[in-house]
Amino acid sequence: MISIAPEVAKITNAIAPSELTQEQTALEMNKLNLFYGDKQALYNIDMKIPKGKVTAFIGPSGCGKSTLLRCINRMNDLVDICRVEGQIKLDGKNIYDKDVDVATLRQNVGMVFQRPNPFPKSIYENVVYGLRIQGINDKRRLDEIVETSLRKAALWEEVKDRLNDSAFGLSGGQQQRLVIARAIAIEPKVLLLDEPTSALDPISTLTIEELINDLKDTYTVVIVTHNMQQAARVSNYAAFMFMGELIEYSDTNQLFTTPAKKKTEDYITGRYG
Amino acid sequence: MDFKIDKHISGQFNQELEQIMSHVLDMGGIVEQQISQSLAAISSLDAKLAGQVVENDRKINAYETTIDEECARIIAKRQPAAIDLRIVLAIAKTIADLERIGDEACRMVKPALESYNREERQFLVDLDHMGQQVLTMFNKVLDALARMDSEAAYEVYKMDKKIDKTYEAITRQLMTYMMEDPRAIPKIMDVIWATRSLERIGDRCQNISEHVIYLIKGKDVRHTSREHIEKMLGV
Repeated sequence: MISIAPEVAKITNAIAPSELTQEQTALEMNKLNLFYGDKQALYNIDMKIPKGKVTAFIGPSGCGKSTLLRCINRMNDLVDICRVEGQIKLDGKNIYDKDVDVATLRQNVGMVFQRPNPFPKSIYENVVYGLRIQGINDKRRLDEIVETSLRKAALWEEVKDRLNDSAFGLSGGQQQRLVIARAIAIEPKVLLLDEPTSALDPISTLTIEELINDLKDTYTVVIVTHNMQQAARVSNYAAFMFMGELIEYSDTNQLFTTPAKKKTEDYITGRYG
Repeated sequence: MDFKIDKHISGQFNQELEQIMSHVLDMGGIVEQQISQSLAAISSLDAKLAGQVVENDRKINAYETTIDEECARIIAKRQPAAIDLRIVLAIAKTIADLERIGDEACRMVKPALESYNREERQFLVDLDHMGQQVLTMFNKVLDALARMDSEAAYEVYKMDKKIDKTYEAITRQLMTYMMEDPRAIPKIMDVIWATRSLERIGDRCQNISEHVIYLIKGKDVRHTSREHIEKMLGV
């Protein structure tokens, strides 16, 4: 009995996000404010996202979780009326600094969307797309990366005999894993997943969830999901957002058993007002 | 944290939680009746009533299995989180304690089947006195559960110490008496066992009070000190 006690303590007493050291932190947001024209969508977000872990953003529709996720690889730059204040540091460097090259940033921060969006090309060409843009054309090297990326995305066994077939021939779940393989082929540091399973059936969903769990060993994963049970299953840390504010951010085990804030409690238990 | 069981968006979930809670309280009501009838049977040496107590235990067992099933169904269908999860966990533990309290209530009824001389009858009076203490404790813990009141639960938690003291005092008296009159040992042993059962019921009530504190505060206070609980509750 006594010998297992420290182990048990380890499971339940994960480091609080605010106490993460520089080394353990992949992303750090400081006083992040975001405006769409006159309307403010994010308010003073301060958070540290841990390295090599899965962090989930949850909250009702329109709470700002996708907006926040999109800030991490500057997808919001594409929206004309969008203005960002504050900092997001990736390995200590503010990604909103003037000297940051957005293309390089997006190599480091990959993103996967709600609906699988493979390119109208073969499975093989989809995976190597980013590498070709980088100017890598060595066949041997590309072959190798295709295999490792597809293996990491748990898709290799299903497609290894038809790499030159069109990506559109794959099922929804397979397409989503292909898109993940494409994102990890360029070896990003951070992988952003914006509701990656909301268009998939339950079995494909479980496969992707299993994959997320494997991916966190190599990458920092940040996921936005509407499915609370999914956030509880896949994430190590969870952030609850409401009306553009970060209400509560803690170890997932704690957030789902004993949330500190009433608003969080009401949301995750499906209560209103 | 002020909290309402019935604020879910899903009305069905509200109903399920309300129903399970009301079943627990019904079960508690029967257990309470069992303790009090068992005590009454001993005081009046009523063998027939004692038999009824033993017979009634089946009802409690049936409640336990039904409520357990309801808990499993809620976990499977609703994936409860936070306070909903704690309600289900606390209920599953509470009914196990209630069922065991029911068992103790049957077990302690044995002295009702014996006859006692005047001096020995005084022990039965003491036993009944302790029984009333335990009954109060049980009543209060059920009330704390129904009202989901962690401070009331802590008041129950503290009552256990007093019951332990009463238990020690009665046991000491009974042992002295057995040394004086060894022929009385068999029937006095029955009284000792009954006292022991009451003491165990007190312990189980304390367990339930811990479950209530866990349910409300989200903190597991089992195997901790009174100081720790007081600090946590801020009393």
